[in-house]
Amino acid sequence: MNRINRREFIKLTAAVGALPVLGFPAVARAGAAKARVVVIGGGYAGATAAKYVKLGDAAIDVTLIEPNKIYTSCPLSNEVIVGHRDIKTLEIGYDGLKKRGINVLHDFVTGVDRAKKTVTTQGGKTLAYDALVVSPGIDFHYTGIEGYNESMIEDIPHAYKAGPQTLLLKKQLEAMPDGGKFVIVVPKGPFRCPPGPYERASLVANYFKHHGKTKSKVIIMDANDSHSKKGLFNQAWAKLYGWEKEGLGANPNGMIEWVKGAEGGTVTKLDAKSKTVSSDFVDVKADVLNIIPPHKAGKIAADAGLTGTQGNNFEKGWCKVEPMTMASAVDPNIYVVGDSCVAGEMPLYGNPNAAFDMPKSAHIAMTQAKVAAAAIVAKVNGQPVPNPYYANTCYSVVGDDYGISVAHLYRVENGTFKYIKEGSGVSMMTLPDKSPVPAAYRKLEAEYAAGWLRNVMADSFS
Amino acid sequence: MQKVVLRSAIVSCLLLAGSAQAELNVSGLANTCNNCHGTGGVSAGESMPSIAGLPEGYLKNIMMEWKTGKRPSANMTRLISGYTDEEIAALAAHYSKLPWVPAKQKTDPKLVKLGKKVTEKCSGCHGDTGKSDDADTPSLHGQWSQYLQLEALKYRDDAFNMPNKQMVKAAKKLSDEEIKAVAEFYASQSK
Repeated sequence: MNRINRREFIKLTAAVGALPVLGFPAVARAGAAKARVVVIGGGYAGATAAKYVKLGDAAIDVTLIEPNKIYTSCPLSNEVIVGHRDIKTLEIGYDGLKKRGINVLHDFVTGVDRAKKTVTTQGGKTLAYDALVVSPGIDFHYTGIEGYNESMIEDIPHAYKAGPQTLLLKKQLEAMPDGGKFVIVVPKGPFRCPPGPYERASLVANYFKHHGKTKSKVIIMDANDSHSKKGLFNQAWAKLYGWEKEGLGANPNGMIEWVKGAEGGTVTKLDAKSKTVSSDFVDVKADVLNIIPPHKAGKIAADAGLTGTQGNNFEKGWCKVEPMTMASAVDPNIYVVGDSCVAGEMPLYGNPNAAFDMPKSAHIAMTQAKVAAAAIVAKVNGQPVPNPYYANTCYSVVGDDYGISVAHLYRVENGTFKYIKEGSGVSMMTLPDKSPVPAAYRKLEAEYAAGWLRNVMADSFS
Repeated sequence: MQKVVLRSAIVSCLLLAGSAQAELNVSGLANTCNNCHGTGGVSAGESMPSIAGLPEGYLKNIMMEWKTGKRPSANMTRLISGYTDEEIAALAAHYSKLPWVPAKQKTDPKLVKLGKKVTEKCSGCHGDTGKSDDADTPSLHGQWSQYLQLEALKYRDDAFNMPNKQMVKAAKKLSDEEIKAVAEFYASQSK
């Protein structure tokens, strides 16, 4: 694969490496970095890629392009909505990366010229790259629900990119009267943070409990027929929030209702004025309406021609990658990491259409970024591609002192992603002797979630 | 010995590149651990332990105990089961060679004082300050206080059925306050 490219690359690096010995003139020294790596997008994936390229080889010139000066973590932002966490604890800047010698350019990428290997920005800069990391995260499809469009998000927040949207949903929750309905509309997968909507539902119910709003309900209108950590969520809901079974109106004494796609959960229509969402089966009038639109790879990835245009939901609109390196399947000089890529294969939630994608989580995005960084460093230095490992740990906090998690492990075998069942799985549903899992286990995982957050933020941005 | 094994692993990685057999890439493996345990194994999260600089024997043993089901854990038992024994050994060797970096944290002087007294009976294994020369005993000096508390609570709680009976016995004698004090004392010994 790409032998000519690699050989050329090695030749180039060898030449550059030799030049200082010969007394390289000043003019060329300005551009004398061993190689130039540009990273588009400074979320968990992009920040990690930039940092780990620099850690791998300090002589590589790394530039991260990101419009925002402060990043707000999506993981654990559901805790902000219900007042358990200050949004400031989710915010982090780029000084840590700058201190490592990474150039951070706060600008907006307007185009990628793959033939010339350059990136242009709104600020009028053109940056040449030897390797480009594309990590723009997700964009939303605002089409698909009749009567819904992007201009409505100030009234009907998605709160699926953390920041002002998170705080808006928090404000709406706080203003909601007891007896109100908090409706979460979940799109057809894949979407980022697969357990996110259900963690949100759990914490909103927890909010009701603590704020004397126990007549209120959270209704999850789900376009899917199953979801992440379903057994664990249902167990927690039954224990904490009076949940008994699936379906609209199925839990008269409970605070959470989950409506699956096949039974009327797929929302197709919105009356924005009355905040009523409709499926083929039912109309549900919300007091607080949280529509999470369907996802696609960030626009810049699509504009650069890196996204698939055919195939199922898991290929169309997302960027396919090479398992060994995270290089784009259509361009060996570009690496796509994080939520915008499609990678891996796993049996997910019993839905055959959902069986092709690594979960879009911060954690897995970071391990993808580390694989890409190692591949780039190896390529620049003329070394073979290191054996890659991908891992995921994803915590959901579902109540007071109650956390659950899922882990995933992937390897690459014979050039394809391999889901390692032995290294994967959800928190125990019962102890091995079938007795209930002691509360101490759930409490530990809630504590681990908080520690995990500090570490992923530091491992990416510091 | 391990160093030699590791070096040769890297060398064979270079020599055998392209062969169907996946080569052990210990820094790539360790990168997946760093997400939760910090860059270079130095944790930035209070509930997660730093693992850089811990004794190789301890690291290897604890991972193997998770893998074989001898040591319960809310989450590590799952992930570690996907790693081969060889990978576990390589990870233990890798992290044991990295420098121990005490966590930057504030401790409560009153609890530290109480903790010093309570830990007198721990010094046989853990040394006076939590710094142990024993290959199978973890370093505690400068570890995150919250992590130490959570672990001590696991030893005390029958729900976890922890493997080290000596630790279980010792932890059972401690009150909530004493567990906090022990953790704060070791956390404060960051030299």
